[in-house]
Amino acid sequence: MAREAQRFFANRGAVVGTVLICILLAIVGARPLLSAKSPDALNIDHGLTLRGAPLPPSAESPLGTDDLGRDVWARIVAGAATSLEIACLATLLALVIGLTVGLVAGYAGGWVDHALMRLVDLVLAFPFLLLAILLASLLREADLASSIAPVVVTLGAVSWTTIARVIRGKAMAVSRSEMIVAARALGASPARIIARHVLPNLAGTAIVMAAIGFAQNLLSEAVLSYLGLGPATTTWGHMLFEGRAYYRTAPWLVIAPGVAILVAVIAFNLVGDGLRDAFDPKEST
Amino acid sequence: MKAVVLIALAACNGMDRGPHERAAGHAKPVDGGTLRYATKDRVVSLDPAIAYDETSSYAVHALHDTLVDYAPAVRGDPHSGTDIVPHLAERYEVSPDGLTYHFWLRPGIAFSDGTPIVAADFVYALDRVRAKPDSPYAQFLVDVAAITTPVQNELVFQLARPNMAFLAILTMSFTTPLRPNTELATGPFVLERWDQGRRLIVKKNPRYWDAASIHLDRLELIENVPRDVQFLMFERGELDAAERLSAADYLWITERQDWAPYVQHRTAMNAFGSRMNVTQPPFDDRRVRQALNYAVDKDHEVKLLEGAAVISHGILPPGMFGRDDALTPYPHDPAKARALLAEAGHPNGLDLEYVVLADEEAMRLAESVKSDLAEVGVRIRITPMSFAAYATAIGSKSGPAFSKGVQLADFADPVDFFDLRFASSEIHDQSSNNDSFYANPELDRILAAARAEPDRNERAALYQSAERILYADAPWIWEYHQDVTEVTQPYVAGYAIHPIWLRDFSRSWLDR
Repeated sequence: MAREAQRFFANRGAVVGTVLICILLAIVGARPLLSAKSPDALNIDHGLTLRGAPLPPSAESPLGTDDLGRDVWARIVAGAATSLEIACLATLLALVIGLTVGLVAGYAGGWVDHALMRLVDLVLAFPFLLLAILLASLLREADLASSIAPVVVTLGAVSWTTIARVIRGKAMAVSRSEMIVAARALGASPARIIARHVLPNLAGTAIVMAAIGFAQNLLSEAVLSYLGLGPATTTWGHMLFEGRAYYRTAPWLVIAPGVAILVAVIAFNLVGDGLRDAFDPKEST
Repeated sequence: MKAVVLIALAACNGMDRGPHERAAGHAKPVDGGTLRYATKDRVVSLDPAIAYDETSSYAVHALHDTLVDYAPAVRGDPHSGTDIVPHLAERYEVSPDGLTYHFWLRPGIAFSDGTPIVAADFVYALDRVRAKPDSPYAQFLVDVAAITTPVQNELVFQLARPNMAFLAILTMSFTTPLRPNTELATGPFVLERWDQGRRLIVKKNPRYWDAASIHLDRLELIENVPRDVQFLMFERGELDAAERLSAADYLWITERQDWAPYVQHRTAMNAFGSRMNVTQPPFDDRRVRQALNYAVDKDHEVKLLEGAAVISHGILPPGMFGRDDALTPYPHDPAKARALLAEAGHPNGLDLEYVVLADEEAMRLAESVKSDLAEVGVRIRITPMSFAAYATAIGSKSGPAFSKGVQLADFADPVDFFDLRFASSEIHDQSSNNDSFYANPELDRILAAARAEPDRNERAALYQSAERILYADAPWIWEYHQDVTEVTQPYVAGYAIHPIWLRDFSRSWLDR
């Protein structure tokens, strides 16, 4: 593990990504200190020009105000929490499904493997966005619209397939290794073998998949929110959606959430790449 | 990646987005060309007995003319467009008792296939409306006792009781003459093709009685285009006119010197507010309804509408006959609202559902209402609905009790605003026109008297007393009357927003 850490921190991109993620987490953690204003408080009297236009950045509002006079900085900070929470939960969900399916298919082989992989093919055959839009619309109908659950479930349900495929391949290789053959010969149960021997050998792969999946989910959440299928709470994608019409009169309404999404996605991608190189130096490019 | 694209878009700010084409400057109207415009909704029906929504009316009014209609609007004249002038009728007479309306048809008028229009064609159309259970227009004919045709080109309406709005009612397209099983037009245009939900194209009707005033070859109405997309299409020159711009586009275009001459505003005959079902608690208590009127800060809404609205004290829009301009709107007074709520037994406030149209502008305004009401302890949950779902839901007595209220004029008379919305005779369990289910015998009596009152001053006084009753009883939160705005390409000539028909391009021409 120490060797992997060494390799990781020798990678400049990975370090930059880590620092950025730390800043992001610090912002989320220190939310109440960073902005005294509520992200949802309308300020039509003072947060808009006399004609009703959003206010540009000023000492009062460092990132300006939006079309309802709300403070953009306060919303970016609040959006960071929601966006990261959604991406985190969705990644966990995808990891749980992907790991389970991949492990079972890879270890069991035979018809179980066939059945599960055809399921993966089926989900992959659907264009990602189409499936996500369909699921998000259906889940919204279920009157969960105000919570983040529909988005988490949607993203989790469409993004587990890649994880399942990769894990299945690795699991297959590991379960044919001599160590597993030996364990089987000694009479260990499949559950014990998977838990004690297969899983630990896949941990590195899973972590890498999770970091890259996290960045992907962050972006997908923004896309869904932009399409109006996100949660009703403040997220970066939702801010982009609300501000899009103002790209000429109040460009800060798209620049602020756009840059936030960009930075966060790059940070997680850099860390993901760094982790992959650290765990599997042969595959690095 | 999406973020990068958007930032790049924002950076394109400096690009010149002024008008691409100038007007050619012809002194006299030029014939020919197709005028293209779009709406955010779809055309529901082309049957004049059925079509009742605004978008359908654009098409129906282009295809069907009536005995009388409003004079065309004139740009810059806020009072234009409300005078009633003869169209398919050449002249008319009203008997002194107000019970007989005698129309002489214009000689030589014909359907679009050349068949002459006779008085019986009007009778057929009106009987059809009365026989159709799904027609929303039968209610307007309740005062008609008999329709007779003494000779082929004369039409006589005998009323059971006087109705001062009757002439205005006859401007509505459902009174157009029809022949059974045909789709003949009587208006300035005939239908060329309609791809339902996508586009509707009408072409000039050479048999129209006033064909000399019609210069365009075609009108093309593109359906289901959101406002912001309409504006992008307009900028690219794919549309000749764009209406009710989104806040962002409106703010942008009104600051541009080069576009300013082509942006039109007009106070239209509408009223917006929040309608409450007064038969459902907590709205059955007048103090609650008054409290909500005090709680909502209408200045906020006017600001969110970029100032293109005036605060209302009731249902009648400014400029409408019978409106009492001296009545001051409910002031924004949260303390008074809280006191009234406490008095009504809700010291801890209320939790309410608020139904609005799923439209960006409506949602922004709803956020403002929500924030104002939260200040007095009234917590609302906003439920957006499509137009069709909304219309069905709020017309139902057991439906959502609290929603956005919208009144757009069918014709320019207080009858359309008062009788339709607040008379107890308009209450039904489903599809109720009186959707606040407000019933007040005194108001019914005043409205009935006003409808029949021939003296203009007396009539105005009656409507002013009706306004006061509704102001105090507050079945709506009285909020604002919104201006209509439209931007046209520089070469669109002879167009002005009409106070009733709104987008009537029939007399426009293309100066290029």
